[in-house]
Amino acid sequence: MMEIVYGFIFGFLSSVGFGIITNNPRRTLIPAGLVGAIAWIVYIIVGWYNHGLIMPNLLGAVVIGLLGNLCAILVRAPVNIFYVPCLVSLVPGAILYDSMKNFTLGNDNAAFVGFVKALTVGMSLAIGFIIAEAIANKIYPPLKKRLAQRENDKK
Amino acid sequence: MGAISERDIVTLCGQVGTILLENGAETSRVENTVEYVGRAVDLPVICHATMTGIFVSSENSATTRIFKVRVGDFNLQKVDEINTLSREFSRHEITYDELKKEVKRVDTETLDFSWLTKCIGAGLVSMPPMLLFKATWGDLALAFFVGILGYVASQIVAHHTKTPYIPVAVGSLVISLLANVLGIVGIAHDANYIIISALMPLVPGVPMTNSLREIIERNTISGIVRATDAIMAGISIGSGVIVGQIIIKSIFGG
Repeated sequence: MMEIVYGFIFGFLSSVGFGIITNNPRRTLIPAGLVGAIAWIVYIIVGWYNHGLIMPNLLGAVVIGLLGNLCAILVRAPVNIFYVPCLVSLVPGAILYDSMKNFTLGNDNAAFVGFVKALTVGMSLAIGFIIAEAIANKIYPPLKKRLAQRENDKK
Repeated sequence: MGAISERDIVTLCGQVGTILLENGAETSRVENTVEYVGRAVDLPVICHATMTGIFVSSENSATTRIFKVRVGDFNLQKVDEINTLSREFSRHEITYDELKKEVKRVDTETLDFSWLTKCIGAGLVSMPPMLLFKATWGDLALAFFVGILGYVASQIVAHHTKTPYIPVAVGSLVISLLANVLGIVGIAHDANYIIISALMPLVPGVPMTNSLREIIERNTISGIVRATDAIMAGISIGSGVIVGQIIIKSIFGG
């Protein structure tokens, strides 16, 4: 249980932190942080039941994709602005670094294994996004329409 | 709209695309936005974007322009501003001249977070949640500061050199030096955990994932360009860390 609480806090902090580095618009920082935190929790929970690399990352990416698209509609910003900071905790950066370190040291086998791992994680994230986008394209247009209508009514 | 020359419109479209691509938008969004802007002034344009160049061509005549792109650091603020502008423009809320002026403004200056905020941001990224239960709390706290220093070092180098990959290499060198010293002196438990977490702001994880997304969307060229970029950055980070380790070991005789 503590794992989830800490995971939420640190997932939030690291997403917001990366948002600051990549100069996200200020209004998107908090939503991006929340999406990142929720995705991280999903990653932890799926990781309890499945010890592979693919499922936790894939489902984490699906969550980011769905919530990111939702936020993009609500806050009115390109989806990428949510993807980039939320991804930072899932992304295979450390694995890629490790593999390239082994490559530099001459441990070719370890380097290759690490590189394939990095590719696997990257692929599962990318496929997760595709799945999420396919779902989002079906679900969200009515919501978008309703929001636009409400705004027109206000005018 | 007759007063605006076709050439002018195509140029503006290209500028819009260049800004988007340089600051981290994906190629399909760049192409869509550019064609959107063109349609809003009743000039159908075709846009083809790769990571290294943008081609904008008007459909009515032979006017074509090529724009060279140097992909640098992400600045999502610019992407957002251009996106908002193009939306307002296609809803005819701002005129063509206003759009032109605004695009120029976004290109030259946009509001940025202060240095201090960015440093704190880098520090926060340096405490990645994946290490929470592997590293000790003390190590994570150290990683916060080591990560800030590494980020600052890479940013300073980036201001002074145009050679790609050198900034990340220097940043990781600094991180590795600090972490290994901390490890040898005995303040840190495990230098490796500090290195991995402090590297998080530099490591090319997001480009790697973006490249695979592009490949899946069949933008193969951009995807491969991004992937190569990510691997090169990974290699330079790896070498930076190892050089740091060797230096510290030869000084302290580990």
